[in-house]
Formats: sequence, C-alpha cells, structure tokens
Amino acid sequence: MTDLKRINDIYEMYTSFTDAEPNGKFTFSAKDNLTSIDFESCAGSKILSGYRPPFDATPIKKMREAGGFLQGKTNMDEFGFGTFSANSGFGIPKNPYDLNRSCGGSSGGAACAAAVLEDHVALGVSTGGSIVCPASFCGVYGIAPSYGRVSRYGLIDYANSLDKVGVLSAKAADLGKYLRIIAGKDEHDPTSCVQPDMPEKDRAMKSVAVPKEAIEGISDKVMTHFEASLESLRSMGIDVEYVDMPVLKYAMPAYYVIAASEASTNLARFCGMRYGQQDGDLSLGFDAYFTSFRSKYFGDEAKRRILLGTFTRMVGYADRYYNKALRVRESIIQEYKKVFTNCDAVVTPTMPFISPRFDEIANMSALDVYKADFLTIPPNLTGMPHMSVPCGYSDGMPVGLMFTSDHWNEDVLLSAAVEWEKGFEMKRPEVKA
Amino acid sequence: MDKEIVERVARIAHLDLTEEELERYGEDLSEILEYFQMLDEIPGEDTLGFNPIIVADVLREDEPRMDIEPEEILKGMKTYEGYVRGPRLS
Amino acid sequence: MKIGLEIHVQLPTKTKMFCSCPTEGEDRPNSRVCPTCLGLPGSKPSLNRKAVELGLTIAKVLGCTIPEQTWFSRKTYFYPDLCKHFQTTQYDMPIGERGVYKLGNKDIRITRVHLEEDPGKTKRVGDNTALVDYNRSGIPLVEIVTEPDISSPAEARQFLAELLVTIRNAIDLPADGDRSVRCDCNISVGKERCEVKNVTGLKNVENCLKYEAVRQTKTLKAGGKIERETRRFDEERKVTLPARKKEYEADYGYIGEPDLGIYNIGEIAASIKIRESPIEMATRFTTQYGLDSGKAKQIVTTSLELAALFEELVKATDVKTAITWTTGAITANWKTFDVSKKDELISIVKELFNGSIKDTECSIRVKALMTGKSADELSSAAGDLEEVINGLIDANLHVVDDYRKNPKAANMIIGMAMKQTGGAYSSSDIVEAVTRMIETRL
Repeated sequence: MTDLKRINDIYEMYTSFTDAEPNGKFTFSAKDNLTSIDFESCAGSKILSGYRPPFDATPIKKMREAGGFLQGKTNMDEFGFGTFSANSGFGIPKNPYDLNRSCGGSSGGAACAAAVLEDHVALGVSTGGSIVCPASFCGVYGIAPSYGRVSRYGLIDYANSLDKVGVLSAKAADLGKYLRIIAGKDEHDPTSCVQPDMPEKDRAMKSVAVPKEAIEGISDKVMTHFEASLESLRSMGIDVEYVDMPVLKYAMPAYYVIAASEASTNLARFCGMRYGQQDGDLSLGFDAYFTSFRSKYFGDEAKRRILLGTFTRMVGYADRYYNKALRVRESIIQEYKKVFTNCDAVVTPTMPFISPRFDEIANMSALDVYKADFLTIPPNLTGMPHMSVPCGYSDGMPVGLMFTSDHWNEDVLLSAAVEWEKGFEMKRPEVKA
Repeated sequence: MDKEIVERVARIAHLDLTEEELERYGEDLSEILEYFQMLDEIPGEDTLGFNPIIVADVLREDEPRMDIEPEEILKGMKTYEGYVRGPRLS
Repeated sequence: MKIGLEIHVQLPTKTKMFCSCPTEGEDRPNSRVCPTCLGLPGSKPSLNRKAVELGLTIAKVLGCTIPEQTWFSRKTYFYPDLCKHFQTTQYDMPIGERGVYKLGNKDIRITRVHLEEDPGKTKRVGDNTALVDYNRSGIPLVEIVTEPDISSPAEARQFLAELLVTIRNAIDLPADGDRSVRCDCNISVGKERCEVKNVTGLKNVENCLKYEAVRQTKTLKAGGKIERETRRFDEERKVTLPARKKEYEADYGYIGEPDLGIYNIGEIAASIKIRESPIEMATRFTTQYGLDSGKAKQIVTTSLELAALFEELVKATDVKTAITWTTGAITANWKTFDVSKKDELISIVKELFNGSIKDTECSIRVKALMTGKSADELSSAAGDLEEVINGLIDANLHVVDDYRKNPKAANMIIGMAMKQTGGAYSSSDIVEAVTRMIETRL
C-alpha cells in the first residue's frame, strides 16, 4: 500500500484520489463539489454516486493550467450541509490532531489534507463558514474570498448567492499565490464578471475592529487565545478597537433562510435521471420515481434543509422568511460597510469552541449546530472576504482567529496572514501512516 | 410546524417520509422556525438584492458555440436512440 | 363569455436563452445540448442579449410599461423534461406590464410580457417510459398574457393572427411562427374559469375554446357547476379533458435567480426602434406626402424596400417626382430589380430632377438598370411606343383633364395603345409610359 493510501485510510480526507507520482509544478486537491473530468464528483452525496462530470470546474481548470497536479477530491458534508463533515455519504474525515474529533466542515477533507500532506494546497468552498471553520479546527490558513471573486462554474450549488471557492494551506503565502490563480472573470459565471482586479501588491492591515456582540458565548479556552491574539496584533502595529454591531445576531436566521431556500431549488434536479444513481424502475410514474430516489439517497441533513427551504419560499410564508431574509442581509451589509469606513478588518475567533469529539456532535440538535456557526455566518451572508489563521493550541487542539474585510479587499487579509505567520509558531500534527 | 404542513412540504419537495421522520423533522423545524422568529424584530432594508454584491447587466452575445461534444455529455445517461430515458409521464 | 390568453412565442435567436447552444441545425435528439441546458450539476446560466432585445421589442410594440430593472426567478416543479426541476422565468418583475393591443376598434389589454426558457420535449413510447429530447431545453420564449378581454373563440383566433403579424413585422419571426405559437387558454362562460394548457396553433386555440364554451354552457344549463381546473386539449378528438397533472401556483415557491443578477433594461429599451407596420406606413404616406391611399398601399405591399426607396427619392428629389417614378417605372420593373443597385437608381432620377436628362432618357435608363436589358434596344422600342402614345393623347386631349379628377381616365389610352401595338410591349411598360406621359402634360 502506498503512503497516501495508508494516510487516507486513517484520515479519510479524500473521497477519490490518485496515488500516482505527482507530475506538476505543485500538487493540489479540490473539494468534491467542484467538478473534474478525471474523478467522480459527488459533493458528498450518495445520490451522485458514480457521476463523472464532462467538464472541469473553472478553478480546477485554472489550477491545472498553472501547472497544478490534481491529486484527489476531498470529503465534505453532503452538498456542504454541515459544520463537522459528519454528514458525508462517504465516511467522515478525522481531525489530524485527534482522530476522535472533527475536522470541521463542510470543507473538512480539504483542511485535513492541507494539515496532513506536505506542500499541499486545497481548494475549498464556503457557503456559511465551510472554509474558515475546518481551517480553524485543523490549524491551517484558509481564505474565502469575496462573493464573485472566483468563478463558480463547475461548483455543485448549495446556495448560489452565498457559495465561494477559496484556498486552504499550511503556509500563509499560499493563500495569495493560489487565490490569484483561481480568481478572475469567467464568462461561464455571470456573478464573477463584475469584480475589480486584485491589486498587484497587497495593502497592509493597519486597524481592526472587534464587535462586542461577537465575543459573547465564546468558550474560555478559545477566549484566552483570542485575547492573546489581540495583543499580538497590537504588537504588530495594528490598532484594535471595539465596536457595536447589533444586527449581527440576525445573520444566522437570515443566512439559514436564504441558504435553505436556494438549496431546496438546487437539489430539485437530483432525481435518478441523467446522472448519479439511475437504477430505478422507469415504469413507475415520474412523481413516484423521483420521490423514491430522493427519499432513498439524500441524507438526513439534506432532507431537513430541503424541507426547511421549501417551506420558507412557499406562498404565504415567503414574505416572512425568504423575502425578509434578503432585506435583513442588506441591513447587515450596510452595518459592515459602516464599520469598514474606520478600520481595515473585523476580527473575531473563528469558532466559539475547539473541535468537538464525535460523541459530542451526535448529541447536538440541528439548531445547536446552526448556532455554532454564528461567528462565520455574518461575513458569508454578506459576501465579505474572510480568513482564518491558526492562533494557538488548547489541550493540543488548534484555535483559529478570523479576519473579515470589505468586498474585494482580500489583499489586506493576505498581507496580514503573511505578517501573522512570522510571529506564530505553528505545530504541525504528527501524521500517522 | 404541524404534521400536516410537514407532509405538504414533503410532497411538494418529492420526499417520502416515514411516520418517525415526519415527527422528528416536524420537531426540528418547529424549533428552528421559532428561533427564526427574531427576523420579525428588525425591519430590514427597503431594497432587496438577490446577491450580496451588485451583479448587474452581465449579458452574452448571440453567437453559437458548443465546447463539449453532446455524445460525451450523454455517456453517463440512460439513453435510447439518442433520447434520454425517463420515468413514465403519469 | 370571457377569454384570456397566455401566448408563448419562440424568439428568433441563434443561441439558446442561457447557453450558447444553437437553436437551429441538426434535429437528431440531444444533438444541441450542453451542461447548462441539461442542468448538469455545476453548470451556470448566462443570459442572451438578443433574447432580451427581442423581448423588449415585443413589450414595446404592445405598448407595455417597461421597468428600469428586471430579473429572473426560479419556478420549481418536477417533470422529466424540465432538467433543473425549476424553470428560469420571470415572476415579480417582468420586462413589460400593462400594454394594450388594438384589435380593430377594440382594446385587448396586455397584463404582462415576460421572458422564459422552454423545457425539453417528451415522447411517449410503448412501455410507457418517457424519451426526452433536450434540444428544445433553454429555447428562449416570450410569454404574452392578456386580460380576459376577448369575447369569442373566433375573436381569439383573429386576435392571435393579427398579433402574430404585428410581432412578425417587429422582429422577423420565422415562417412557422403560427404553428409554433403555444397558448394557455382561460375561458369562463359563467363565474368560474377553466384553463386549457399548452394548445398549439391558431386553429386548435379556436377549436379548443369552442368546445370549452359549449361544455361550460351545457354544464351550467343542466344546473351543474364549473370547477376551476386545468384542462388539456385533445387535438384529434377536438375535446378538452381534465389535466392529468395537477399543479398549484402556491407550490412553485418562486425565488430570485442569483446566478444571473439584475438587468437595468431602461437604456436597452430606449435604444430599441420600433418598426412601423405596413398599415401604419401606408397611412403615413397618405398624410405626409398626399399620396392616394390606393397607391400608398400598393407601394408598401409590393415591398418594404420599395417603400424605403420611395422615401429616399423624396429626399433626393421632391414629392411629385418621387411619386411619379415610384408608382410608375420603378414599380413596373420591381420584380427584376437587384435592390443593392438602389443608389444608382436614385442618381438617375436625380439627374432628371436637376434637368440634366429628359423624361424619356430617364425612363430608358431606369428600365435598363432594373431589368438588365441594353439601353439601345430599350431606347428604340420606347421611342416607338412613346410615339404611338403621344399620337393617342393628341387625338384624345380630354383625357388629360379627366386624369386630373380620376387617374383611371388613363385606362382609355392604355387600352388603345395595347390594341395598336399588338403585344409588342408588356402591359406594365405601357401602363408606365401612358401614366408618365399624361402626367408630363398636366
């Protein structure tokens, strides 16, 4: 057995991969919801088992054109629905620092690969925090750029107004290097066509704001490291101030309403026809045929979000939920814009706790899990670029620090990551193989 | 969210739920929607956008082009004489 | 009786609504498909500018109010030919609203005009499974919704026929536009209405409405109640039947389409020039140039290019010269004319207008240019003909006075000239020469 196979047997970060000797200028992986010609693309869902897309997602295409070798597709929560990568149809990736704990999610496999494999860059996707959450739990750097910065062509949709493709790596400089490769306008994705170019030189981060609302309900372990991190920022010459952002608490419900509404329409197409599982009895009436596939192959959380999203956009409820959530999103964007007139970034812990054990996760209700995303959701809902950097270790588990900047200001985050890395001592996990 | 609504939503979404699932999802969704009631507290903006940034006026010119051979795309599908096979219509 | 129609017309674009697949070409099933129009996971839509322009042209022709901003929505329902299981259509902000169509003296109010994609086409086979061809998936459609202002099946047909003429004139609809037009027909005889979905072609629309009117009347007379329902039309048996699939507007759960964003169409709409209909143009010729209405109609029905040439001649010369030559020699030889030579034609008439050539020479050169015959040959023939006509007019000078009151007076000279020349000249040549020569004597 090759080393890669052995490693993957332990960590389950890949759903499909090649153990051929990498022959590119660099090696990368892609989250399994990015389509690629030479690997199955299932987005963590059994309903897509066996699906081999006829085209490469634009970010993958661009990485290959830059000389990248695509090693495999990383494990994830089904369609991105989750915070711990425990909702995958194909096993659960394990945290490199403690196999009994989660990698975070939904780009859990991507963060795990970035932590475990040498010289590896992972493409992840974030809808509500799915890049920074696992980056934080696995102790790596991860950036989700502005909405519309990277083409979503070939990204299997979770929520079209929220999905963003980004980069995870153990090295801070990789974020800027590879984000610049995958960013840019793409005629196949209209939402990528309104972006300004990224500046050639990253601007320095000079000041940050900490929203008081965001540091309530943080575990003591995380809080200790967060406060120490603020001190480090000050010592780097960055101003730190506290601000009020009272509307942030509405981000979580607004996010889940929009995400579920959009997701329930995106998932309508999966029905046992055209791709993925197609082994049913065609002589059933189409309603019964489609229903049987969807009931059999969608996982528990996918069903929950389909039900939620079908409800929140239904006549009689849409004004209270879907349409209202869109209006609330605008309010939160306005609030961020106001804060960014006085500072370069907003800083919070990435996650309110260190990675939980799988037995703890099993005892959480659906709402408990949704609430765990309360720090990562606001930047995601508003399409703001955000990044997690490792900022300490508690009981041997990594803690993450999250920066959010204004639309299109990724460069401020990228320069901060490089500066941060100079003063931070990273402890790479001991890789079992 | 009462059982009747969960059943209706499931039917629209083409999901067949067992009694146990109906009850469980009903409880989950009730708890979630109750929490979401906080959206009633805030007015929100008058304008509503479908994207968090302004995506406006992106149009494509009317020039035919096919990048992938249709045969290549149809490879993984169940077909009959070039048609895609699907379930009975009624 | 109240009838309202939802009319779907295919827009004549080269590519589909949201992808670059061609709309025409090979008919082999699924030969014009791509990830987007097959709804493959990861595909994204990208809107065809031409479809927007054509849709806006129709909205404008129908006198609709055009909003500054428009967007698309997802209408979610499950059917094998709808590959994403949502149709990308317009819901809360269509490209046009509140228009009106003049059907004779009657106003048919237009509720809205919106753009949407067509689903694929399903064929049933022996074992009852469906065979789907997605070549049609993503074809751009415009949907025109009327208020229930139509009062009979015959009027519905007449409205559709005239509407199609109007649309064809505005956007160059392909010839099979009539057959491909699809309607959802709403009809009520009493209080409650029924909708008959997806009726193809004008004749079927009339037949379906006729059947439905009789059915509803009979039901009501027998003391029955009309249920609000969706029905379908069986073309062969010419009857409507309850639809097999029940759809509820409430279940579509429309949401905005975030993959496309919004469109500021005010500017595009303002830049679109609406083409004059032939009838409107003829009326204008009468009032603007004092052209008699018969001649005006003759010009526009001969060819819109002839009408355009006429207006250019007016500018290059004057109204009188333009009328004489357009209705005379130019109309007479229009069939053989290569329109690309129109500038040459105008310059010949201009020479006459400037006085550098005479009437006869002008006539010969125009004819030579338009028919490709040699000027010498034409010149000697024309000389002979003109001599004959001159003689006839001299002998019947009252004709010139009569012509002033009624141009038909020329017929007498025409008849005599034909008799005298015994088939040596075509009738159109004789008509042209007689008219021209009488007019020079006016």
